Amino acid sequence: MNTAPVFAVVGHPNKGKSSVVATLSQNDAIAIALEPGTTRKRQSYPLSVDGKTLYTLVDTPGFQRPRRVLEWLEAHSVSASDHNDTVRAFVQQHQGDGRFTDECELLAPLLDGAGIIYVVDGSVPYSAEHEAEMTILRWTGQPSLALINSIGPDDHSETWQAALGQFFQVVRKFDAVRAPFEQHLSLLRAFGQLEPDWEQALDQATHFLSEQRKQRRALAAGMIARALKDMMSFQAKRTLTLEQVSGTSDHTLADELRQRWYQYQRQREQALRIEIEHLYQHQHIRRQEAELEWHSDHDLFSEDTRKHWAVSKRYLATAGFGAGAVSGAGLDALTLGSSLGAGALVGGLIGAAGSYLYGDRFTLPALNIGLVRDGLKTATFGPVQDSQFGYVVLGRAVDHWWHINHRNHAGRGLLDLEPADHHWLERLDKKSRQTIQRTLDKCRKQQPLDASQTHKFNDAIELCLSVYDDWRLNRT
Amino acid sequence: MTDHPLRLLLDFDACVQRDKGQAPAFLHRRDRKFALSCEQQGIPPTPERWLAHINHLSGPGAGAGPASHTLRVWRRINRGFMVAGMLLGVLTMLGLLFYDGGQRINVTIIIAFVALQLLLALLTTAQSLAGWQPWRPLLRRFGNNRESGLLPRLQPVLTAKAAQLGGLCFALSGLATMLLMVVLQDLAFGWSTTLETDATRYHSLVTAIAAPWAWLWPAAVPDFALVEATRFFRASPRDAGMSPARWGDWWPFIAMLWTIWILVPRAVLTLVATLLIHRKARQLLASHPGMRALMYRMETPALDTGNAYNDASDLPDTETQLDLQPLPDASILLCWAGAGDPELPDALSSGKSLIARAGGRMPLAQDRQTLEQAASELSQATDRSVLLLTRSWEPPTGELEDFLATAKNLWPKGSKIALVPLAAQPDRKPDTHQVQQWLRFARRTWPDFVTVSLMPVHETLPDVDRGVME
Repeated sequence: MNTAPVFAVVGHPNKGKSSVVATLSQNDAIAIALEPGTTRKRQSYPLSVDGKTLYTLVDTPGFQRPRRVLEWLEAHSVSASDHNDTVRAFVQQHQGDGRFTDECELLAPLLDGAGIIYVVDGSVPYSAEHEAEMTILRWTGQPSLALINSIGPDDHSETWQAALGQFFQVVRKFDAVRAPFEQHLSLLRAFGQLEPDWEQALDQATHFLSEQRKQRRALAAGMIARALKDMMSFQAKRTLTLEQVSGTSDHTLADELRQRWYQYQRQREQALRIEIEHLYQHQHIRRQEAELEWHSDHDLFSEDTRKHWAVSKRYLATAGFGAGAVSGAGLDALTLGSSLGAGALVGGLIGAAGSYLYGDRFTLPALNIGLVRDGLKTATFGPVQDSQFGYVVLGRAVDHWWHINHRNHAGRGLLDLEPADHHWLERLDKKSRQTIQRTLDKCRKQQPLDASQTHKFNDAIELCLSVYDDWRLNRT
Repeated sequence: MTDHPLRLLLDFDACVQRDKGQAPAFLHRRDRKFALSCEQQGIPPTPERWLAHINHLSGPGAGAGPASHTLRVWRRINRGFMVAGMLLGVLTMLGLLFYDGGQRINVTIIIAFVALQLLLALLTTAQSLAGWQPWRPLLRRFGNNRESGLLPRLQPVLTAKAAQLGGLCFALSGLATMLLMVVLQDLAFGWSTTLETDATRYHSLVTAIAAPWAWLWPAAVPDFALVEATRFFRASPRDAGMSPARWGDWWPFIAMLWTIWILVPRAVLTLVATLLIHRKARQLLASHPGMRALMYRMETPALDTGNAYNDASDLPDTETQLDLQPLPDASILLCWAGAGDPELPDALSSGKSLIARAGGRMPLAQDRQTLEQAASELSQATDRSVLLLTRSWEPPTGELEDFLATAKNLWPKGSKIALVPLAAQPDRKPDTHQVQQWLRFARRTWPDFVTVSLMPVHETLPDVDRGVME
């Protein structure tokens, strides 16, 4: 068989069929509501690689009149061998009949050879009232799998599991909103095991999905790295003519520049959020997050923000040691090694001391109002001299990425980004810490980064994502 | 297609910058499709082809962006250097060959000047190789400050080429001026130096300098007699014992000195600068972060998970204002699809003249029978209300709608049916969103015949959003 397998997701109305499809097809634009009849006609969601379809999920409306259908089927069947034909005859006869639109929509793909994914809600008690539906599905003779989805907080999955086992080849539990990605893959593999011909396609699909996941992590790291570079090196600048100079006090000018600087930082951060969300195919997320805020004229961030995402002085000292040692090693090279590595040691100590003492405050005034030259006066604010700024932005970005990475497309709730209260970055290896510190310093000084530095920085950020992921998963 | 490595690099960089705002999934699809079509045609998907493909799809005028601007700027800079070089060449040569009939033109000065020019030419190339940019602030000041990450790294080689081109024009115009002067004027050359030297050593020096062209133009190599004859001293009496005809014999040497030691090195180093630009451009293109990403996109299959369909806004109306009705005092109680199992709450079952089951596992004939039974009871009763218990969590289906439609037809006029959704645990009130779906169902079907009520639980009534308790 060369055609790609098709799986029709069927069941009683309002049991989360669309949620399962939304999660597996990574589509957060599928209408999902706790209202029967939200899905009115079947819709296909093919997974394709380079344009070649590997499998197709079909979302269908729920059964509306299963007993009447079953009565019709039983009345027109002579023996078990004609069950499939009888179902086909039913669909044929009732095309266009408004009463059976939903049944025709959900049975049609099964008659074309689709596998059955029967979805029930495991958070409500088992009910034998669904047996008519299950019997109809069995009449189609297609390979079948039952999925116990959980919409509410209660758990009745054990009783469902026992009951469904009598009707379906495979019974799996799958929480469409909360299931981790590994479970998505495992479920898809289970789909493949329903029919030997389907196994290869589903294995391929899971392989590509895993690869895509890895690629997205690398791309997300690149996006965060780019945003960090932009934000760390940004400078708000205004040039005033003599007329404007006389009408503007330095204080007003400073305020205006500071506002402009913060506005840029916030916009850039928001742009990063949207970029990451779109990367993971989340187009409709409603997000709630504390804005970047500042505390006073001398501090870029409120104490609250700093407390949540900034790194400790000890961390800065170790990262600073590495960065200083590199410049010190340059001295060793110049003296052709005759300094016996003392350059690296001294450089390291200076770097560490500098980071410890000045790492979390301005080393240079961020505000600079120049003198009048050629009839013009230039004032600038930034780039930020507080190296903690980079860590605050990084912490917030990585936390957002983590939520998006673990969010299923069936989720429609508000994404609430609460600040973490732990210096997770301290789990990062020394080399990556130093790379980050060095890059942040370079950006702060508006020095260009070459391809290799950019690459190393991206790698270090990607490692941050892994470290944060581990930390979040092992936190509780 | 662009084959110039610099243009290719700049075009590629511009394209990568332009793509920054694009969705990664789109970029992956686009580039993978290109790679696959190349594979089908049996040609490698090179950056040149990729750019040509992208520009071809954008139609005429594509690619005339920042890359063209940068190239234009640098062409202008080159032209500026060339014009300046040409003018300086003329002026310098006029200065070097200044002869008012008094003092003779000192060949030693010309040799020293040529050596300086050669040194400057070599230094320019060395500086471009080392990447030292002492003139960078100047470039910034003159509007070339829109530096992407690439330009600062290209500037050393680009400025070296501009400088070498200027030098080449300087050498050309200098030579032309000299030849013109030789034709138009009677120039008197001689050699002089403060150092204690004799004609023999000076002759060896000029012979060594003239070695590259000695085989080509022997007349351009001064012989010993000339050297000896044309030495002059500032303090010595003018032109003592010397044939004036010999003073002009130096000019072939000067012309060749200028050509071989200024013009030719400048031409060679201009060529080297051009090659260095090409090499740098190729290096930068190979290590461009966009190139790595492009190669990855072309090599990795593009995965589409089926997320094109969008009906997020096509949701059923769940905002309508709906009312719950008080539980009627009915004598008939019907249980729909297993509602009330395993045990009916006393509050509902007591005092009922008919309690029957319908829907769910019951056959359709049984439903019909139940409805007929209820119809006969209702025809005799004064209060024509019926309670229909449902499971609040199971949504109302078409089957229930059919059941109610039949009831409406069968039962006497004035009959009413109250749907009573029950929670999974009878002592708890059903969830609000579950009650809402029953209210909307009632409104959708026959609002004058079907109402929704709740069973009182512990004397408290549920607080239904947007539902008004009466």
